[in-house]
Amino acid sequence: MSRALPILTVLAAILAIWYAATIWMNATWVFDQAERNGQTVTWAEVIPQTMTQDRPLLPPPHQVAANLWQGIAGQAITSKRSLVYHAFVTFRGTMAGFGLGILLGVGLAMAIVRYRVMDGSVMPWAIISQTIPIVALAPMILTLSNSVGIDGKEVPKAIISAYLSFFPVFVSMIKGLRSPDQMQLDLLKTYGAGEGATFFKLRLPASLPYFFASLKVAVAAALIGTIVGELPSGAIEGLGARMLIGSQFGEPLIMWAALFAAAILAGLLIVAVGLVERLANRRMGGVA
Amino acid sequence: MKKLITASMLALIAGSASAEDVKLQLKWVTQAQFGGYYVAQAKGFYEEEGLNVTILPGGPDIAPTQVMAGGGADVMVDWMPSALAAREKGLAIVNIAQPFASSGMMLTCLAETGITSPADFADKTLGVWFFGNEYPFLSWMSQLGLATDGSAGGVTVLKQGFNVDPLLQKQAACISTMTYNEYWQVIDAGITPEQLVTFKYQDQGVATLEDGLYVMEDRLADPAFQETMVKFVRASMKGWKYAEENTDEAAMIVLDNDQTGAQTEAHQKRMMAEVAKLTAGSNGALDVAAAEKTVASLMSGGSDPVITKAPEGAWTSMITDKALMQ
Amino acid sequence: MIIPTHPMWLAGAVAVWLALWTANVTLAQSRGRAARIAMPILFGAALLVLWEGIVRAYQVSPVILPPPSTIAQTFAASLPMLWADFVQTVIKGALSGFVIGVAAAFVVAIVIDRSPFLQKGLLPIGNFVAALPIVGLAPILVMWFGFDWHSKAAVVVVMVFFPVLINLVAGLKASERMQRDLMATWGASYWQSLFKLRLPAAMPFFFNGLKIASTLALIGAIVAEFFGSPIVGLGFRISAEIGRLGLDIVWAEIVVAALAGSVLYGAIALTERWVTFWHPSQRR
Repeated sequence: MSRALPILTVLAAILAIWYAATIWMNATWVFDQAERNGQTVTWAEVIPQTMTQDRPLLPPPHQVAANLWQGIAGQAITSKRSLVYHAFVTFRGTMAGFGLGILLGVGLAMAIVRYRVMDGSVMPWAIISQTIPIVALAPMILTLSNSVGIDGKEVPKAIISAYLSFFPVFVSMIKGLRSPDQMQLDLLKTYGAGEGATFFKLRLPASLPYFFASLKVAVAAALIGTIVGELPSGAIEGLGARMLIGSQFGEPLIMWAALFAAAILAGLLIVAVGLVERLANRRMGGVA
Repeated sequence: MKKLITASMLALIAGSASAEDVKLQLKWVTQAQFGGYYVAQAKGFYEEEGLNVTILPGGPDIAPTQVMAGGGADVMVDWMPSALAAREKGLAIVNIAQPFASSGMMLTCLAETGITSPADFADKTLGVWFFGNEYPFLSWMSQLGLATDGSAGGVTVLKQGFNVDPLLQKQAACISTMTYNEYWQVIDAGITPEQLVTFKYQDQGVATLEDGLYVMEDRLADPAFQETMVKFVRASMKGWKYAEENTDEAAMIVLDNDQTGAQTEAHQKRMMAEVAKLTAGSNGALDVAAAEKTVASLMSGGSDPVITKAPEGAWTSMITDKALMQ
Repeated sequence: MIIPTHPMWLAGAVAVWLALWTANVTLAQSRGRAARIAMPILFGAALLVLWEGIVRAYQVSPVILPPPSTIAQTFAASLPMLWADFVQTVIKGALSGFVIGVAAAFVVAIVIDRSPFLQKGLLPIGNFVAALPIVGLAPILVMWFGFDWHSKAAVVVVMVFFPVLINLVAGLKASERMQRDLMATWGASYWQSLFKLRLPAAMPFFFNGLKIASTLALIGAIVAEFFGSPIVGLGFRISAEIGRLGLDIVWAEIVVAALAGSVLYGAIALTERWVTFWHPSQRR
């Protein structure tokens, strides 16, 4: 209980501030409309009106919750209006990007640690690649994959998502592959192990804790990448698309509901990956 | 029983094998603006002509010209200014049909800003979409002699999203609207028509041709492709005329095809009714006089014309001639 | 599709690639600084040559992918426009948001440090929010703060705040027990201990957070422009020029964004080297 109390207090404070902000921000529209219609309104009338607007600047928590509930439980799961369906589309994209990012991150890290040529040539570029805002490249990746003949938007979305999620895995794997200390490397040399054997028998197992630790960051990055990837790819399905559509069609409630759905999805993914990490740690004899 | 199933499956395969595949890239998301094509698909008009049509919705950040250039589509819906600008850039696209006879583009202003005529635009903030829709606007501003870089005496241009918040939040004095879409969003939001001042491009004499069908010029040289396009245009126009007469049914067909789940019945029915006003009077054939008026409007943009020389071969009537012959 | 229309270009490009790769292999053996700088440059040059070769060999349309030579030309010809976009997005939007976000994170981190109650309450929530797709807030913030750079700065503040906060809080815990006890034996007050021991000890974590924040800042500023902006800015230009098929300008803007991101990251890394000279990771 003592752990929950501070969290609950902070949450309660956030909700209180939220409600206050709702009244303050939505009031402008109410006053403007009253002025246009030549009426005057008192604060007692304004406050309820700020809570039930169709296009609020800041929807109050209960309106967001209602919309979220409507999107999750109020629709058939296969319906195009269901947030569960769109969350699944985003989830699918995230998993594809996550998998591709892991492959890329691990593969590139292994190549860089193993071969000095790769270390010198590619490592600086891998770091610079993260400084290029992926959102600038996303439309290009889409166009290029379309013209190369790859149909559909799944592959480009996976590439964009992998772009963001490969880096945490990559950095951690490099640290992990380089983590065996000199004593251990010397020991393997006394056993007559070549570069390749040392790599597979010492470096790779030593890197596993680092690998699992990076997965949480990678999956969060993959989710962001998928959502960013959904924006230029025609914005039809997926949570990012819903956010964009809510914004473009002037339906802020759709936007907010999608945002919270994305938050919930992110939370679920991180918890799931955290569980995988704990399992892996336990099996490898580390601290659970 | 087995023989019947095998036979019908073979017939299906044979039937679909002889159907030609056509990919149509829309200019924007699935909405009643493209009702004619969805109706043609749902009512089987395309099937009757032996076509298997895939309708690809557009959206923010999808440039139909680019999709077609990359081979992702066979035919696209685009506005003439954007198509002519692309043509001048080296992308040889040709107009083969023009279902939309009139323009639905408008500039809607809040009456409280004091704007009563285009002369009042100076020193105000105006919103416009991009992605091909900015050309008529830039052309008009150029003709009015108003600079668009935000300097004094000119106008400040805002890249608005496809919603009407800039007007509602008073971030812009005027925003671009379509008669069938954004204008009604403003009304739905609670502002009455009396509180708005609207300028229709058609009335201001700066209207340009809007939704038309475009294909790549090199593909048009192939007689087989020409045949496919003739059938496509014929079926599409049939769809448009059906949509004009049955706007509610057409709206429901569009709603069924909407993959985003974001469109609403009321909005689409109203949109279809308004779009029907724009397609009325067109049988699909391009009105060359209107096309030349569009070209003149785009070229008279003063220091910043949208196109610099008159396009040659930017439109052809060979498809519509054959399609409408029957 | 595999057979190029101008095979000589492809052959030439592949030949140059192989030559540069061999050069890199030889360079990899040497340990000098010149070799370490030359290798990535040669690799990058080889990539550019390959790009140019492929585009010319397959006659790729310039509205799909322009060759690097065209992009360089457009870059040189559009410097004023690129500069204006850079100032709007990077300086006004990203940098101001970055500074405000980091400052806010600093203040909140110290407040949290003073109150264990807030620590237990705010941190789990902060961890959660840090993982959220903040890009989803961009349209909402544009609605609130208007179209100009203020909304972009707001997006950057939100995106930058949580990673920096979490890293700072972790950093403030990083000073060892023994060191804190030593300060106590010298009669140091909370603030003296903070400024002379705990903040310097937190610097490695802080800079780690700053590096993450710098990439997020640029992404935030550019994404925010997709949702509404005046007709200037990196995000706006990229989005508008895609619609106009001006792909060479799009790539020129991408180059500007990459340069800005790298310079920002490099500046942070340099400052880090100067401030945390004592940390093992800075050993040469």
